[in-house]
Amino acid sequence: MNHQDLIKGQATDVSPRLALGALNNRWAMAKAADFANDVEVLNFALTLEFLEAEFYRQGNKAVQLSGIEGKFLKQIQSDEESHVKTLADTIKKLGGTPAEAPKVEFGDAFENRKNFLTTSRTFENVGVNAYLGAAGFLKDKGILQAAAGIFGVEARHAAIIGLLLGLPAKGGVFVGDVETPKSKDEVLAAVAPFLAGGAGAGGTETVIIPAGAPDTGAGGEAKDTTGLVQATTGGVLVAGAAVALIARHRMAPRGEEDDD
Amino acid sequence: MRPFNKNRVFGGEPVLGIAHETDRRAFLRMAGLVGVGAGLVAGGLMTGASSAAAAVVQSADKGDIDILNFALTLEFLEADFYATGLKKGLINGRELELITEIADNESSHVTSVRALVKQLGGTPVNKPTIKFPADTFKDKLSFLKAASTFEEVGVTAYHGQVGLIKSGDVLGAAASIAGVESRHAAVLAALIGGNAFPAPIEKRRSKNEVATIVKPFLS
Repeated sequence: MNHQDLIKGQATDVSPRLALGALNNRWAMAKAADFANDVEVLNFALTLEFLEAEFYRQGNKAVQLSGIEGKFLKQIQSDEESHVKTLADTIKKLGGTPAEAPKVEFGDAFENRKNFLTTSRTFENVGVNAYLGAAGFLKDKGILQAAAGIFGVEARHAAIIGLLLGLPAKGGVFVGDVETPKSKDEVLAAVAPFLAGGAGAGGTETVIIPAGAPDTGAGGEAKDTTGLVQATTGGVLVAGAAVALIARHRMAPRGEEDDD
Repeated sequence: MRPFNKNRVFGGEPVLGIAHETDRRAFLRMAGLVGVGAGLVAGGLMTGASSAAAAVVQSADKGDIDILNFALTLEFLEADFYATGLKKGLINGRELELITEIADNESSHVTSVRALVKQLGGTPVNKPTIKFPADTFKDKLSFLKAASTFEEVGVTAYHGQVGLIKSGDVLGAAASIAGVESRHAAVLAALIGGNAFPAPIEKRRSKNEVATIVKPFLS
């Protein structure tokens, strides 16, 4: 099990069961083979962010929202676009190839306000679960820090959407005393309905969404990329955050411009 | 009405009294090192966990225990803040429902962090004596503004601590609380017409900023 080696091996003296029991956290249930290195974790996150950013890009055009609601949803779109850019830039700095935007299909999510917000809440909460579930695989502390920062913002989004929907505080706006992680497989299952043409349809060589075919290989090679970037990656992510407001990055999947 | 300094909680008034000198020194040391919010988010792992978990905990890094104890002090403060505020009867309806749940979350975090420190072989710090400035609960807006400021400080300070926690498991648990604090911060901002999404990535506090914020807490 590579799982204990969460942070440059410093946690290796801690029983993996600690995460499962003491922390009431299913972190330990994620398979060690889910992600072989930081780039794989980041590409997994990037795919989700692509999905989210495109969701808001289409939804904010298609659905008329009231003043304050529209403002919140546009801010969220801007945040997601920022996350896409930050993650892609960081993957490049690590020498990896950013995943391409997946082809998406949002069905009736934009039929009305309620569908839009309800689907949005699903995305945001799954995003929170996904970051928490995958964070344990990140070896570089700078990247971990930034991922935690993105995770917190997804939690903000989820809470505000719950608020707009008028959901109960308990279990709606807030979802407990602690956030819950999800494994890669659980996350993929949750977003599968929104991926058009099957998993990995984005045509990228980096297969981020191995539908129904989770890796079973060993994760023992996970250490080799991190040493190179230790000093710079945090800065990359922070810098990415700074330019995020510019939101110059467009996420429209090629050949799939507005169909509304 | 006393204007709240953006960088200070409770208008910069000291609200914490820590009786034991050891606890006090530990708190100050950690405050300088990791920041206020660290406390708000670093703990709270034990909620609902079975007591069997204790058996698997063999040892823990001293630094992580210090961070958790620092967290515990701040969770005490938060829980006390909301409990005190709710007793004033300033809010009702939807706001009351939301704040009640936030208060319950913070109260659970206290229980959780105390239990975790113990399970890691450490000694939980005692609850500090807490005294809020008189106008903190003067009216609904004062209460909600103080809460919002407090939650935002907690979130941003936490993110200065992520890289300091040694145990990956403690880190994961801390993150699971951090997300809840982010939700609190967003909702409180929305309630007072503030910015629910101040940045695309949660900000961090520098050591200097943290020191400035923390000192007024200590009497």
